[in-house]
Amino acid sequence: MAYLVRNDIVQYACTCGQLRPISFLYFCRHCLKLRCGYCVCHEVESHYCSNCLEILPSAEARLKKNRHVPKHIRKCQACFDCPNCLNTLAVRGTTVSVRDPEDPSKVNSQKKYYHACFFCRWTTRDVGLPDQAVQTVSANGWAQKNTSNLQRITVLLEHAKLLGMLERHEREQREKKFTTRFRRNFSHLPGLTAAHVRKRAGLPPELPAPSTIKVNLAEFQPAVAKDTVQELPSDIFTEELDISRVTTLAQRFAQPETQPENIEDLLPMYKHLSTKQSQRCRECEHNVSKPELNPSSIKFKIQQAAYFHVPEVRFVTIEPPIGGKPSEVVILFINPSQHPTTLSFITLQEAEDEMKQYHSEGSADTSVQQGEAPPSLSSLTKPVTVVEEQKPIDISLTGEVLLPAPDIEIILPPKDDAAEYDDSGETQQFHDDPKIVIHRRANKASLRFTVVPKTDFIGENCVIGFAFRYTYVNRISSPAISTSEQKPQKVQLCTRVFMNCGKILEGTQ
Amino acid sequence: MSSLSTHDAKPKHDLKIATHAIVCHESKLKGDITIGAHTIVHPRATIIAEAGPIIIGEFNIIEEQAHIINRLPPGADPSTQIVMEIGNGNVFEVDCLFESTKMGDQNVMEVKSHVGPGVEITSGCIIGAGCKLTGKEILPENTVVYGRNCARRIAMDKPPMQNLQIEFLTKTLVNYHHLKKPRSANS
Repeated sequence: MAYLVRNDIVQYACTCGQLRPISFLYFCRHCLKLRCGYCVCHEVESHYCSNCLEILPSAEARLKKNRHVPKHIRKCQACFDCPNCLNTLAVRGTTVSVRDPEDPSKVNSQKKYYHACFFCRWTTRDVGLPDQAVQTVSANGWAQKNTSNLQRITVLLEHAKLLGMLERHEREQREKKFTTRFRRNFSHLPGLTAAHVRKRAGLPPELPAPSTIKVNLAEFQPAVAKDTVQELPSDIFTEELDISRVTTLAQRFAQPETQPENIEDLLPMYKHLSTKQSQRCRECEHNVSKPELNPSSIKFKIQQAAYFHVPEVRFVTIEPPIGGKPSEVVILFINPSQHPTTLSFITLQEAEDEMKQYHSEGSADTSVQQGEAPPSLSSLTKPVTVVEEQKPIDISLTGEVLLPAPDIEIILPPKDDAAEYDDSGETQQFHDDPKIVIHRRANKASLRFTVVPKTDFIGENCVIGFAFRYTYVNRISSPAISTSEQKPQKVQLCTRVFMNCGKILEGTQ
Repeated sequence: MSSLSTHDAKPKHDLKIATHAIVCHESKLKGDITIGAHTIVHPRATIIAEAGPIIIGEFNIIEEQAHIINRLPPGADPSTQIVMEIGNGNVFEVDCLFESTKMGDQNVMEVKSHVGPGVEITSGCIIGAGCKLTGKEILPENTVVYGRNCARRIAMDKPPMQNLQIEFLTKTLVNYHHLKKPRSANS
């Protein structure tokens, strides 16, 4: 499947102008537009460890950040990465015989644990770390060797935070008019502290007085430049370098706190947490993709992938493209939706004109829609929507495609999961032009196109582009629209597709 | 390195299996091969002594699809005899290819690894999964070759002996496979 849809042979133009294979695109069911990874908001839902699958809610991650433990943020506390090859370390148990301290003649066997990498066979014993008595090793015993910079970093972070506070204070002074009004609204409620009131009004917590901030700021000591630099070791030019004992750059960068130079100084690293992200449409603020919170689940609560809504385009056969010579191309169209759709083909130029027209009309519409209550966010916290200008598509067309007339409509039946197992012949009649539609099966139709590669691009890839209109049934019943309009609306949408037909060959005349 | 035996030039086609060795009948053994005690040769393993005898020590495990081939170098005189010696406690994992002439003790050839004819393996080395060594060198002791780029490091210890595994295989393989009869190496 990945081979079929994840390559760059058939690319769709996203609403923002990016070219992507269909499996990389989202389809916002509210705006009815294609969205790619660049034109959606990525939000981190949760942090989790990919090894032990322990979930660390982002609230906790935030809490840890506030407690000045920047070192441990986004790192699992129980799992470790190999410092040598950066894969996950595994715990191994061994039995060690230990002489009884009270009775030297007796030998006790004891279970001990150490960490080992199954890929490069690095073990914690290699660097002389003692075996642990418990299986879940807290790294307190390790790793804390060289933390001389930690204190300074904490001080710097504190300083930056104070500066930020001061800045915010000044800003709030300027906006005081609004904040006082908010407070007054809540002041009649009994039993509410000032902090509660701020929270209710959606404001950040109260800041300390600017005078105390300034006092704290004054305590900060800026860094001082030193003239004396540590001397190089005396044997650096005489000793032969043993390359196998020196760490690689990748190994050093993986441990930014210590940046060890010798492999003896490598220590197990906390495993970085992975994130689950949800994607949100920037225009209407609806989620286009939202994973389930459970780290062991690979399912989604919401997944509006374009693959489930927009007709898929695939090559079936291509005649070798020869410069200036028309060649026949068979392209398969698949309707993934539960409703029949009607396809018709237009050129890119027509599609662009249509979109421009729609855009100028649509801008008036969206301003009305924005007046309504946004679906998920309260009006207080609603950020300004960032809608980027559409960019021109960055691809050069090296072939002409002769499309069927725009009034020819191809009907694709809905996707029926059971039809794949149905061997009986097709009963539906579509009255297709046999010159265009050469094959049909269930929700798929193979159409014949003619491509004329340009003669001045011999040796390059023959890229063709066209647009197709398709009908989409919008089943979303928006609460804002009155209930009388509950039945699904049919909309006509347009998508631009770019296809690579392979290298253009030289004609043999 | 390759040692040339001076006495007879005529290749012997006989197989010597020490007692307590388990050599499955489905394995492909060709030429003059000596297999030491407690060595396990799985079904479908291939050992071919083309250029000269192969002498395998004790407590080795040779897994399925492993290839141990004593190949004649291209263009060499077919009458020369090259002896391949494999020490004790080595593990040849699935689909590895070993063509060198010398291997010490307690080495591991991981899945789909390849050691070419010019590489001498000492002791305690691990050739990681998919790693290829085809140059001409002597691998230092306890070398670990791992990863896509065949990165190397020197380990502190040798990989552990697989005694438990050998014990287990000695018990179970007999139940499901026909074995090649042990024959004294002296006869």
